[in-house]
Amino acid sequence: MGSVVFFFRFLGWFSLRNLKRQPGRAVTVLVGIALGAAVFTSVRLAVHASLNSFTKSMDLIAGRAHHVLIRPGGYVPEILIQKIIAHPSIQSASPFLSTYVRPAVTHGDSFLLIGIDPILDRTFRMWQTEKVRSKNDAPWLDLVKFPFTLVMGEPLARKIGIRTGDTIALEHSRQTKSFTVVGMLSASGLALIEGGRVAITDIATFQEFTKLYGSVDRVDIRLKPFSGSEDLNSFRKTLPQGTQLVQPSITRNSGRKLIRAYQLNLSILSFASLFVGMFLVYSLVSLNAASRRKELAILRSIGGSSQMLFLVFLAEGALFGIAGWLTAIPLSSILVKYLLQAVSQTISTLFVRVHVEALSLDIWEIFLSFGVTFITAVMAALQPAREAMSVAPNEALEVSQHGLKRSHKTKHPAAMGLLCFVVSLIFSQMPNVLSIPLPGYAAMFFLFVGFSLQAPWILEKMGHTLSPILRRLAGIPAYLASHYVRSSGTRTAVSVGALLTAVSLFASLVIMTHSFRQTVELWVHQSIGGDLFLTTKMGSINHFRYPLPPTVINEIRRLKTEWDIDIVPSRRFSLMHDRFPYEIDLIDLKVFFQHGDFFWLRGDPKKARNMAIDGQGAIVSEVFSNRTNLSVGSTLETWVEGFLVKLPIIAVVRDYRTDGGVVFYSWRHFNERYYNPQWSGVRFFFKDKGIAPDSAVKKLREEIITRCGENLDMISGKELRRSILEVFDETFAITSVLLLIALIIAALGIATTLTVMVLERTQQLNTLIAVGADRGQVRSMIFWEAIFLVVAGEFTGLLCGFMLSYILVYVINLQSFGWTFIYSVDWGALSLSFPLIILTALAAALPAVRAVFRQSPAMLLRER
Amino acid sequence: MILTKGLTRIYSLGDAEVVGIENVDLDIAPGEMVVLKGNSGSGKSTLLSLLAGLDHPTRGEITVAGYDLNSASPSELTLFRREVVGMVFQSFNLLPTINVIENTVLPALLAGKTLSESRKKASELLEWLKLSERSNHLPAQLSGGEMQRTAIARALINDPEIILADEPTGNLDSKNGRIVIDLLAELNRKRGRTVIIATHSSLADDPASVIIHLKDGMVIHPEWDR
Repeated sequence: MGSVVFFFRFLGWFSLRNLKRQPGRAVTVLVGIALGAAVFTSVRLAVHASLNSFTKSMDLIAGRAHHVLIRPGGYVPEILIQKIIAHPSIQSASPFLSTYVRPAVTHGDSFLLIGIDPILDRTFRMWQTEKVRSKNDAPWLDLVKFPFTLVMGEPLARKIGIRTGDTIALEHSRQTKSFTVVGMLSASGLALIEGGRVAITDIATFQEFTKLYGSVDRVDIRLKPFSGSEDLNSFRKTLPQGTQLVQPSITRNSGRKLIRAYQLNLSILSFASLFVGMFLVYSLVSLNAASRRKELAILRSIGGSSQMLFLVFLAEGALFGIAGWLTAIPLSSILVKYLLQAVSQTISTLFVRVHVEALSLDIWEIFLSFGVTFITAVMAALQPAREAMSVAPNEALEVSQHGLKRSHKTKHPAAMGLLCFVVSLIFSQMPNVLSIPLPGYAAMFFLFVGFSLQAPWILEKMGHTLSPILRRLAGIPAYLASHYVRSSGTRTAVSVGALLTAVSLFASLVIMTHSFRQTVELWVHQSIGGDLFLTTKMGSINHFRYPLPPTVINEIRRLKTEWDIDIVPSRRFSLMHDRFPYEIDLIDLKVFFQHGDFFWLRGDPKKARNMAIDGQGAIVSEVFSNRTNLSVGSTLETWVEGFLVKLPIIAVVRDYRTDGGVVFYSWRHFNERYYNPQWSGVRFFFKDKGIAPDSAVKKLREEIITRCGENLDMISGKELRRSILEVFDETFAITSVLLLIALIIAALGIATTLTVMVLERTQQLNTLIAVGADRGQVRSMIFWEAIFLVVAGEFTGLLCGFMLSYILVYVINLQSFGWTFIYSVDWGALSLSFPLIILTALAAALPAVRAVFRQSPAMLLRER
Repeated sequence: MILTKGLTRIYSLGDAEVVGIENVDLDIAPGEMVVLKGNSGSGKSTLLSLLAGLDHPTRGEITVAGYDLNSASPSELTLFRREVVGMVFQSFNLLPTINVIENTVLPALLAGKTLSESRKKASELLEWLKLSERSNHLPAQLSGGEMQRTAIARALINDPEIILADEPTGNLDSKNGRIVIDLLAELNRKRGRTVIIATHSSLADDPASVIIHLKDGMVIHPEWDR
């Protein structure tokens, strides 16, 4: 106990008082690590809130069901419920339906409408309504007794400005109808779904509203107590073909998997800021260990053990970790407000619908953020602490307190760096682990470490090669600077390491984003062809589950316009293949290929095109192929609306739809081989490409409304393509912010290193003044040193960035999301941003220049 | 008792070897006041660092107060430095971030003594060294003489048997140099400590019981019992 007390007392005497003597440097490092920790924490919390909201909603919807009966691609006949309940193994069964609707008058935000049998559902899901004093009956009885009544979550009612007793017109794919609000949901159970933006109605009303007479989305089932697998199998045998008994958690788990993959990618990206902050801690602790070498020797000579000195420097790093994390908490609370909205919107757009009202603080996330920050800071202090413990006590006898000892070995770290490149290469070739691209991240890490270890050697070679040239071209200041940088050792190289890490991240993400965008743009213009897209109202948010009514289809078929148009019908089904969600998109491929094409990846395009038109096989997306391991030559077997569909795969194409997995097959041949799948959407192509598309689309849209009514969603091809690219750009806005912060931290690193380099050489610099150099020359020398560091950091960073971008495009994206894209370098953005980074980093040299002449040369040259 | 036999320390500087001391045989009894004399590079500091357990000999034997320093482990050497010897340096070597009393108590705290016990002892020492008024001052606020007296207080805090001083007057004016030598002599005479001083100066010649001359790392002229 006594030794622990002494240790902390000594830490205060030796480390804290020293940090207090240089508050500027300590604060800079603190800000750096706090920014990194704040970014990491807020990103984790923001994604966690979305994950939490999604999981909660899914769990509440799943309720206490043991199993769920579904009919892939379609609806379960309601009549089955009686048969299910009659089975001896079944304790209870309840139908469930849900759809997104929106207020018809305001066309406000959509919300979830749930249709249930209030009596049967009691066993499965918990929900209550607020008591209404004036009425004897509970609102749930009103739902059963009166058609077109609903109960609503309080937050939703508040948002639309509605109260119990009011009526509200709701619009849906099938029709618009008025509902009476008979009660408000108490804030528990189902009322918590999607942050309370939910309404519940009776199943009969739901079916009438959505025209799903006699059909339900699914039937939730509870088995009798002590029912075993034999009972379940006997029950399974009674079920009609085309239906499936699945786990209630299947949708939840697949959604969680996608959000988690996104969370991991953002976490890694945000960790980059912390990683750059680690260089700052290393830089300062290492400076302290080196500049206080004499003090360390004194401590050793008066009885201090080497272990104690090791722990003191490790504790210095730990202190930065703790203080940085504490500073990060208020910063995170500001940052997370911005991120919460951006992240939940991105997840809703890309993966699954989430609605996050407020931040949910999770003790694990807090612990993780503290642990990562703390460990990062301690790791940064590890090497300086080892250097500190190696100080020999006899150094205390050396008279000079100057001349810090530095390692001048550059070949050893460079060789280690080369080894890291090999390790990185090996990791980049390995498959993912438990669906997580861990080897890809390890490859990234070793690439960073490998390049950082090259920094001392690069500086040495750079200084050696350039010094004679610079003496002739830029004079003595540049010559002296090159000499200093050449022999300045590890600590200067660490700053280069920090800059190269930030620059390489910047370059690699610029390249990756550009490659991604270019590929998506090509895909959008090639595969999302069409001049006008039509679907049912709210078709997209409801996964195109409600086909167009036959009257609309007939009107579209009879459509006569002043232009020749091609009509391409399609039908989409949302399905699962071994827990992986995907879509089957039935489309009139013959007409589609006349106007557009797929983005071919595997298989012979010419042959595949002809085979697809003839209905001989299906074309699958890259994501579907990578996730299911079904590629050219395999056959996909699946149930669609009670029909067993067998589709040989003839080609793999690029596709970047929200959740990626798509199977394309000929609508006509599906109709011939199985059944009439109906239309859930239509694309219109103008045959004459010379017409003015905007006005033609407008007239075509008006014509369709005149014939088919307004209960349709239409968007021009131009608008659709633009909106896809807008979503893409919004998604990567978060990435840009994270990158910017990493660059700011790197600039802080440059400022710290240069100031340290100047301060530890104050005597040397003032000796230069004493022997005839003017202040301008000394300043110029420091600027040249900064130029060396920045240029070395930028160019190695650029090189590392190119290699990193390959890992991001071909390893991380493939392993995280199942897609790759065409590698393309944004030379414009790189050439514009790099001079800016150089200027910013050079501006970081200003405090160092100011620091040189803070004291008079006479004072500094006095023997201490 | 300090015994050395064939004590040699050779430093490697790249490919070259530099002899610090060579074949030094010493037999110093407890309570002696020894002055090591010689020019720069003669081996005074090397010998002192070996006697203080700050360095290992290349060859030869060295026993100080019963400790065989040649075979001692790093942790045994740490203990030896804490409890057996007290060091006084030419450049004072005070820790700049802590004040006079904190610098003084530091070796006692390192040895596991309590703060209150150590402070009491330190206060006595500082009073004897006429530094009580300066006990809360940082080293940068002290004169050279005050800094060296603080270093002496620090060297004495653990009651070491042996005081080793490396050029203790080298950074002081003659008046302060005399004060420091007088204090070390007093420690030897009145408190019975073995004091070994490596110095160029002749200030310590008078109180010395032994003067050892070193040249090129070898003892050339020991003068015993002056």
